[in-house]
Amino acid sequence: MSGTLAQPVAALINEFSKLPTIGPKTAARLVFHLLNRPRHEAQALADAIMAMKDKVRFCTSCFSLTENDPCAICSDDRRDAQTFCVVAEAKDIFAIERADIYRGRYHVLCGLISPMDGVGPADLRVKELLERIGRERPTEIIIATNPNAEGEATAMYLSRLLTPLGPRITRLASGLPIGGDLDYADEVTIARALEGRRTMDH
Amino acid sequence: MRLERIVLANFRNFSSLEYQASSGLNLFLGANAQGKTNLLEALAMLGTGKSFRTTSEGELIRHEIPVASVSGEARVRAGTVSVSCVIAKGPRGITKRYTLNGSAVRYAGYLGNLRVVAFVPSDLSLVDGPPSGRRRFLNEALAQDDPTYYHALARYRKTLAQKAALLRGSVTSDEELLAIYDAALIEHGTKLMMARAQFVRDVARYAGEVHARWTGGAERLEVRYRPDAACEVITADAIGSALAERLRSRAAAERLREAPLVGPQRDDLDLLLDGSSLGSFGSQGQRRTAVLALKVAEYQVMRDRCGEAPLLLLDDVLSELDATRAGAFLSGLGEIEQGFITATSLPPGIGPMRSIEIVAGQLRENG
Ligand SMILES: [Zn+2]
Repeated sequence: MSGTLAQPVAALINEFSKLPTIGPKTAARLVFHLLNRPRHEAQALADAIMAMKDKVRFCTSCFSLTENDPCAICSDDRRDAQTFCVVAEAKDIFAIERADIYRGRYHVLCGLISPMDGVGPADLRVKELLERIGRERPTEIIIATNPNAEGEATAMYLSRLLTPLGPRITRLASGLPIGGDLDYADEVTIARALEGRRTMDH
Repeated sequence: MRLERIVLANFRNFSSLEYQASSGLNLFLGANAQGKTNLLEALAMLGTGKSFRTTSEGELIRHEIPVASVSGEARVRAGTVSVSCVIAKGPRGITKRYTLNGSAVRYAGYLGNLRVVAFVPSDLSLVDGPPSGRRRFLNEALAQDDPTYYHALARYRKTLAQKAALLRGSVTSDEELLAIYDAALIEHGTKLMMARAQFVRDVARYAGEVHARWTGGAERLEVRYRPDAACEVITADAIGSALAERLRSRAAAERLREAPLVGPQRDDLDLLLDGSSLGSFGSQGQRRTAVLALKVAEYQVMRDRCGEAPLLLLDDVLSELDATRAGAFLSGLGEIEQGFITATSLPPGIGPMRSIEIVAGQLRENG
């Protein structure tokens, strides 16, 4: 297919098809759609992508993605600074915020423990979490990693590590389907999972 | 349960196929490479969602086509059920999607709605082949019988792979993490071993009975579960402690060898004839009779457990047997609610019945 297409069209199809959930067919549809749109729309898309890359960085407190450091959640005084919700990825924050029930702060690990993928505890933002706990003295830490094998092992690891430091350690539990991801859970499920969190035993 | 209809699209050599199944035995006759095993493979996928022949699932899709599907409708005790499995070639490999009664479901939700007991020629080495074949025998039956078994198996395997990577030094060694993996292995491993112990106990009873009938009581077949962590009683507590103890006693060796050395991934079955190991001492004929007894027992246990007979799939197995054994095997199964049999010619041991000829991916009703 790519041999018969103008090179810039083939190049863009190739770039789109590297994105998650987008195969070559969808990529081609997106490209031909953009070809038919006015120039300023394509410009707006290109600008938005570059602005995201240039202006978004990690919050130095919670490691969420933000334009201003600290992020909007870390700098919001109305939020409960005594409760941390630990998530694997910044996108999980958006899933939980969508449920509009949680009022505490977050901490993003930037991954899950998975030796198969070369990721050990030292490769995550665990050291930063320990420092933050020493500094900010939260009373509760909710571990909201997905209930898959890596999420459970990471939760257990953190629970053993953090319990001696004093805060109550809880885990999102009921409501989340077995093998389900936070990403796909609806708001009601997330709200119920937050309400039904339990203290971790280990 | 009774399958009423199976529909294939671009599955192996079938571009499209619809077959209205009969109750009782359905016989598919055809020369080699015409597609009869492909059809049986598709029937098995209605129950298990997996091929019994290959792990390269791209092979299931017809040449130069992106998507294949297998769908079926069946009558079960609770009413009717329709399942389908779509296999697609994507930019990142093969993906499978499952549907139950028209709604998308996860694999765990698909598994076990239709149940199948498949008997293929490679099963004939169940007794004298490697232990992995006997573990597969346990896993295939138990995953269909109980979705939580499948879940525990998947978790167990994933955790084992993580522990193996940790022992290999893929990340900095971490005693705490190793302990967490061991705890998860004990939790999920206990479920597997518990389910296997109960299943083998049930299989052993039926296998012993049918074997005694066939041999006129002259020989005694025993089937025993041999877990990697031996245990006197079958309770979750006892199995969990046995597994924990074995992990403890082998911990130093695991670190030294940089690999997991303990757990249900090393389980096996002992098959004994009059107290001696069949695999070491039995004749070819005695081993074969024991395999038939095991498969009869699997069918009976599956029937007991789900309260109705599973679909019986026999791939070219009867023609491997002499007429006496084939007939004894079929009568040993008891009343077969529905079965699908492939053969190159009318197999020994069965009388006249509806037969379908398969030629180059097409079905033709005989007579
Ligand atoms: Zn922040």
